[in-house]
Amino acid sequence: MAHRWGMVIDLDRCTGCEACVVACRAENNIATVGEEQAGLSRAKHWIRVERYYEGEFPDVKVKFQPVLCQQCDAAPCETVCPTFASYHTGEGLNGQIYNRCIGTRYCANACPYEVRFFNFFNPVWDKPLHLQLNPDVSVRTVGVMEKCTFCVQRIKAGEIQAEAEKRELKDGEIRPACVQSCPPEAMVFGDLNDAESRASRLANSRRRTKLLAELGTRPKVTYLQRDSWHGDENA
Amino acid sequence: MQRRDFLKISAVAGATAALEGCGNPDHQLIRFVPEEDLIPGIATWKPSICTLCPAGCGLLVRVMQGEAEVVREGRLGLLKMGLAKKLEGNPAHPINQGKLCPRGQAGLQVTYHPDRIQGPLARVGPRGSGQFREMTWESATRQLASQLADLQESGQEGSLALITSPLRGQKRAILDAFANHFKKSLPVELAFFDDSTIRAANLASFGHALPLTLDLGQSNYVVSFGADFLGTWNSPVAQAIGFGRMRTGRPGERAKFVQFEQRISQTGASADEWIPVQPGTEGAVALGLAHVMLAENLRPAAGAGHAGLLLEGWSEGLPDYAPEKIAAQTGVKAETIVRIAREAAAHDPAVAILGGAAAAHTNGLVGALAANALNALLGSVGKPGGILFPPLLAAKESGISLEILASQINSRAAAAKVLLVYNADPVFSAPAAWGVRAALDKIPFIASFSSFLDETTMLADLILPDHSPLESWLDDAPPSGSARTIRSVAPPAMHPLHNTRSMPDVLLDLAHQLGGDLASTLPWKTYDEAIEASFAALYKEKGTKIAKDADEFWQKAQDQGGWWSTEPESVPASPAGAPSGVVKPRAPEFAGDPNDYPFHFLPFASQLLYDGSLAHLPWMQEAPDPLSTVMWGTWVEVNPRTARKLSLQPGDLVEVTSPHGKLEAPALVNPGIAPDVIAMPVGQGHQNFTRYASGRGANPISILSPLTVEGTQSLAWAATRVKLSVVGRGKLILFGGSLTEVSPELEHR
Amino acid sequence: MSRPAPGSSLYLSVVIAIGVAALGLAILERALSAEAMSAAEEESSGAFTPAHPTLYDAVREFFEIRSKPVQPIAYTHKVHLANGMQCTDCHVGVDQGPDARIPSVNFCMTCHQVIATQQPEIKKLAAYKARGEDVPWQRVYGFERSAHVKFNHAPHIRAGVDCSVCHGDMRQQTVAERKVDHTMGFCVSCHQQKNASVDCVTCHF
Repeated sequence: MAHRWGMVIDLDRCTGCEACVVACRAENNIATVGEEQAGLSRAKHWIRVERYYEGEFPDVKVKFQPVLCQQCDAAPCETVCPTFASYHTGEGLNGQIYNRCIGTRYCANACPYEVRFFNFFNPVWDKPLHLQLNPDVSVRTVGVMEKCTFCVQRIKAGEIQAEAEKRELKDGEIRPACVQSCPPEAMVFGDLNDAESRASRLANSRRRTKLLAELGTRPKVTYLQRDSWHGDENA
Repeated sequence: MQRRDFLKISAVAGATAALEGCGNPDHQLIRFVPEEDLIPGIATWKPSICTLCPAGCGLLVRVMQGEAEVVREGRLGLLKMGLAKKLEGNPAHPINQGKLCPRGQAGLQVTYHPDRIQGPLARVGPRGSGQFREMTWESATRQLASQLADLQESGQEGSLALITSPLRGQKRAILDAFANHFKKSLPVELAFFDDSTIRAANLASFGHALPLTLDLGQSNYVVSFGADFLGTWNSPVAQAIGFGRMRTGRPGERAKFVQFEQRISQTGASADEWIPVQPGTEGAVALGLAHVMLAENLRPAAGAGHAGLLLEGWSEGLPDYAPEKIAAQTGVKAETIVRIAREAAAHDPAVAILGGAAAAHTNGLVGALAANALNALLGSVGKPGGILFPPLLAAKESGISLEILASQINSRAAAAKVLLVYNADPVFSAPAAWGVRAALDKIPFIASFSSFLDETTMLADLILPDHSPLESWLDDAPPSGSARTIRSVAPPAMHPLHNTRSMPDVLLDLAHQLGGDLASTLPWKTYDEAIEASFAALYKEKGTKIAKDADEFWQKAQDQGGWWSTEPESVPASPAGAPSGVVKPRAPEFAGDPNDYPFHFLPFASQLLYDGSLAHLPWMQEAPDPLSTVMWGTWVEVNPRTARKLSLQPGDLVEVTSPHGKLEAPALVNPGIAPDVIAMPVGQGHQNFTRYASGRGANPISILSPLTVEGTQSLAWAATRVKLSVVGRGKLILFGGSLTEVSPELEHR
Repeated sequence: MSRPAPGSSLYLSVVIAIGVAALGLAILERALSAEAMSAAEEESSGAFTPAHPTLYDAVREFFEIRSKPVQPIAYTHKVHLANGMQCTDCHVGVDQGPDARIPSVNFCMTCHQVIATQQPEIKKLAAYKARGEDVPWQRVYGFERSAHVKFNHAPHIRAGVDCSVCHGDMRQQTVAERKVDHTMGFCVSCHQQKNASVDCVTCHF
């Protein structure tokens, strides 16, 4: 059976530390855009940590929620793309094929999660910062949309490695950069077609939710809501 | 017809032919012979050590072949070499167990920074002009050696000043040998967010001059006073790993986490209960909790032993700290204190943590002693789920504070002739009131090992740029983060890009040029020989069972990223019996009259820029701050009620004035901050720190009042009061979130 | 407004007009900036960007015009293979990962220290070594950056695809030439024949 990649993010563990954000940038050749362009909302972060304040001082609560491409099964971005640059891959990812993309930005308008980023200019690295670029990932050009790929280069490398060793992929063997770096281990990645994978099991937690589930996008990212202290129940 | 064929046909044949004949797009740089034999496209993983904060996490560096433009022997050319592509945590390392924080991830950009100093430089213009000329390493080290020889020969050995970050391992041993040789030299260990108050408290309470090692993964109740332990404090990755486990790592068990502070920190955001507390009264709350436990016989007073008896009134049950007596002073309701005390006592193992701003008040040391006593009372010292101490030799306190050095030089009580600066930026990291800049101007010769032209290096007469950490041999003995004994070591993960040298190698070279005693106390030619020697000694002590000889032990350590014990080796609290005296808890002092300066000023460590030493990394500048989502700038946080009172609109430029200076920054309205507190991240406000940080924002350190934590030499950086006024519109760049504070000129999206 | 269908005469003339205009611009730009460009080629510029350095380069790539590589040394694959060497003797790693190594001057000199040292091309090789330089071999194959192809040799070799399928018969080539055009059609037809994945993201990411 084909893999169907998914992710579970436990918001009871997430500390909002941004390790995922920087890990993603390092892994995926995401250029910084600088102060001026950032001020025009053109900064690119394939994953971001959303922060919500609730209440008024002194009864204030803060919640963090990392948001990345939800790799929807019914993805609004795919149906609107006139060039099929945005399409559903065989393993259920929302693929983004850069050389098909002509920059209509329809996909970004259609995406309710605001996780697609447009290259308003060619990315620039002040030399020799470019020596860090990951040769396993394309450097995108002006006019092209980009977004989280679930680190498809790591998925491909893992699949090729398993095939070379003539074995099945092990659960947890493939980890996107965000998952690998996450200090409190809030993120779990795995095959949702494997009912025994850690991601599949966690996705059935009583705390499970999907982001904007009411839109019917059928995301493959599951959030486990923050829990509360149960006090003496488990003392 | 296919699009591409079609386009080809439509192209004009003649033009095509003309273009075909044109030159070769590859540029004409020569190619150097590669020094390494790498297969392109295949990654190798090399262990290294993160040096960007004191935690000492282990790294795995993904190295792949790339082509770098380098200068070798005066020629520019292309070199195929192993290049660091990605940093991951080292899964074998006991501290970070394969995980890595955002700052650690950005360590790559230190190596590849476009504004790195690429070789030794000598000052040519006036001091501070930033005019330097290139020179060779031979003449650079000769120049410094002759300066030092002059001090020796003229009997002015006490005129050598050294300002470094707190160092560990053999790097420290080499520097200490240097400092000891120049008798009466003036060594300064400088870190803005230093842990010396916590270490002093732990020495007094438990006999260990070490920071805390927390075992949160097994804790059931955590009370933190001001410690940003999931972000920037102590060993944040180790603590975040433990936090994840304590939250949902144990089926059916979930610990409670209570945070006391003035502004919701990134850590406070994850708390189950967040309780504001008056600045400087955190220790009083800790004693209030202890009072309830003693009064209700939840724990025996004697159980706290030495750590309890240190505090006045302990044996009597801390009568002055009854919850209703401290409620007004601390701002915490009596019933809250009683409830938390009962909950903590009922949920073993419970642990108290005090750090950050709570330890940076004038009474911070007493506060830390109070938290220690609470831990001792809870029975969490040296126990799983509590606080632990790995069996490390505590680093000896060396030298004097920067404040004292500056005041001695300015008052001519000391005459520093030569200053060496390593991994520290004293001009940026000190309050203006300390007069550091003036003191440096009085030092005739300053040599900096910095890789960047920061504020201090701008004043240097000689710059001897260090390798980047990924290009260096590294060793470390992290004092917290794991109860296992750890000796980290790493060979260089890649060859140096530039004409740089490792600082300890330069010191060893200087020692040999100077000869005599110094050369004989430092017998090694290079830093890696010094590390190898320390591992030979470690082999005799710890390694005979795991390796057949010292060489094999050394090799294994290099492959793994160090040696660590297989089991926790936590040592018990050592002082026994009654302490010689008792400490009387006292109220905090603040600089500035509350009538003139109505607000407490709370600087805090930036999750991304840390203490400002990472402000030069574009990844850190463009990563949104976790709570404010600000990018590429700084801000001042104000409570909504305070903002209304001052008619302050979000994004307004405000002037923050302390008794010792003022600064301007845009304001951000934050519902999670006390109305009488103004908070500001440390990190921006560099005058000189590469193209990405220079001239950006303001530096809150500069306006701090020079109060110290009583009983230590540490700056009480949370003890300054300020006033606030709106001076215009500011510029704030936010990544998103629910706040809408964007300056009008940036509002069109 | 309806879009002109590909193949219609309107579409054709629009494209021709754009093509001619672009070429004209490119030639003009090249003429104007010839001096500046040669300086830029020699000195490294301060920034790296995937943008084409000039419009001329962009036009060339769009029309898939690639310069014929000119090798600094007339290396002959034919002689080496005839002497019993295997591809992987020099192109180490091709069966392990994405890329094949182009050997360094040191590698060549391990044999040519003693073999055929009097040949003029070998003297060139030795001269590079003596100057402390590597041989600036030019790429023969390889995808343009804008193709966004992440090709990996190893799985192809494991699948039994002979080197010659994509590189021609090297036993018949002296200096390597681009004998096979690596178009997407070329890749996809083989993938289809062998039942390998033709999902876009197999190669493009």
